[in-house]
Amino acid sequence: MIKHIRKAAAVVAMTLVTQSALAAEVVKVGMSGQYFPFTFVKKDVLQGFEVDLWNEIGQRNDYKVEFVTSNFSGLFGLLESGRIDTISNQITMTEARQAKYLFANPYVVDGAQVVTRKGSAIKGIEDLKGKTVAVNLGSNYEQLLRSYDKQNQINIKTYDTGIEQELMLGRIDAFVMDRVSSLELIKQHRLPFVHAGEAFETIRNAWPLLNNEKGKKLQAELNRVLAEMRADGTLAKISTKWFDADITQ
Amino acid sequence: MNFDVTYFVEIIPLLLGYLGITLKMALLGLVFALALAVFMAVVRVFRVPVLDWLVQLYISFFRGTPLLVQLFLLYYGLPQIFPLMVGIDAFTAAVIGLSLHFSAYMAESIRAAILGIDKSQMEAALSIGQSPLMAMRRIVLPQAARIALPSLMNQFVDMIKSTSLAFTLGVAELMARAQMEASSSFRFFESFLAVALIYWVVVVLFTRLQMMMEKRLNRAYQR
Repeated sequence: MIKHIRKAAAVVAMTLVTQSALAAEVVKVGMSGQYFPFTFVKKDVLQGFEVDLWNEIGQRNDYKVEFVTSNFSGLFGLLESGRIDTISNQITMTEARQAKYLFANPYVVDGAQVVTRKGSAIKGIEDLKGKTVAVNLGSNYEQLLRSYDKQNQINIKTYDTGIEQELMLGRIDAFVMDRVSSLELIKQHRLPFVHAGEAFETIRNAWPLLNNEKGKKLQAELNRVLAEMRADGTLAKISTKWFDADITQ
Repeated sequence: MNFDVTYFVEIIPLLLGYLGITLKMALLGLVFALALAVFMAVVRVFRVPVLDWLVQLYISFFRGTPLLVQLFLLYYGLPQIFPLMVGIDAFTAAVIGLSLHFSAYMAESIRAAILGIDKSQMEAALSIGQSPLMAMRRIVLPQAARIALPSLMNQFVDMIKSTSLAFTLGVAELMARAQMEASSSFRFFESFLAVALIYWVVVVLFTRLQMMMEKRLNRAYQR
């Protein structure tokens, strides 16, 4: 009898151990929830390109993906203090960021784009001298613009949110955003904006990770699953769903 | 005029779903801030050695720096130096930040109210053998509460509205939701007007409560 009980207990213990070993790993993904159509909230539902990607990754890698929304300016603080594992908000791989964080392979290739109102005299980055141009706080467009603006002639303003509204109101003359999402924005919301010239710099966006054990592990796992999704067309499919184009290469 | 009435009407119940977390932050903040404030006010009135000096430093710091800076320090800054603090979640950090910040203001309101109570009250209590602390608790503080109530309520109203800063720490509260909905719908005016009305109504309700409390506390003074 006692033998049986012992056996049963052992079996129970074994299943408990294996189950906890198999239990999905929690991956916390930070995003602003304010970057249409990458990550946005509509009727109380967080959705978008980034959300779809992570739901797919979660399924494939058996992660329990938790989305954490915060104003963009708080996202790197959340990552830095270890409260989230990565940021999925079209984070561009810059040199400064790469010196500090690990990055998975880029999942979006895009360009920096000057956007202005219809009928504006601004036809490209060279026309921005003396104009007021907005960028998002904490984004890398400010440094990018400065690198083109050696004599400091562009009046760059940074915003936490709502640069589209500012352009509409005429408080700014243009803003810089990535080409793909600005195109989508103009189309979806029928905004009276146009692209001023071509995109002026190729940017690669990826998921930054902390440079520690977990970060290294996630980097390897994410690169693997990304290659998988690229090979079987899932990545292109998700991209087409939101952008009518493949922005992932 | 381009005002989307349907959107405006639809977004209100949606936003109301997040009023709970806003009120929870404010009410928890109020409890902790009041407790801290009473303690600090008493310390200052009795001029407790060393403690009085520390309280003055505390009040000077928390009144002298913006709440947003304090929240960032607490949530993003300190964990870099004390890794254990990473365990504090955004909601808790926001409540701690609000409590610390507003306790500094409330302490001064309460101190002023205590000083406003005639000295004879304390002296009378001491003359019948009560200890200074007991006299403070039983005789002076209840009278000071009546005087402090309007300015404490003022600070509480400010605290309710200041919870809107918690989104920068990632708390999905009322303002956060309004901002997120607005950035996908581009209905800025409708979203922010809706959220403004919600805050306003909440504050009006608490002001009503204040009037009722004032009436109750004034009963002993009416003849």
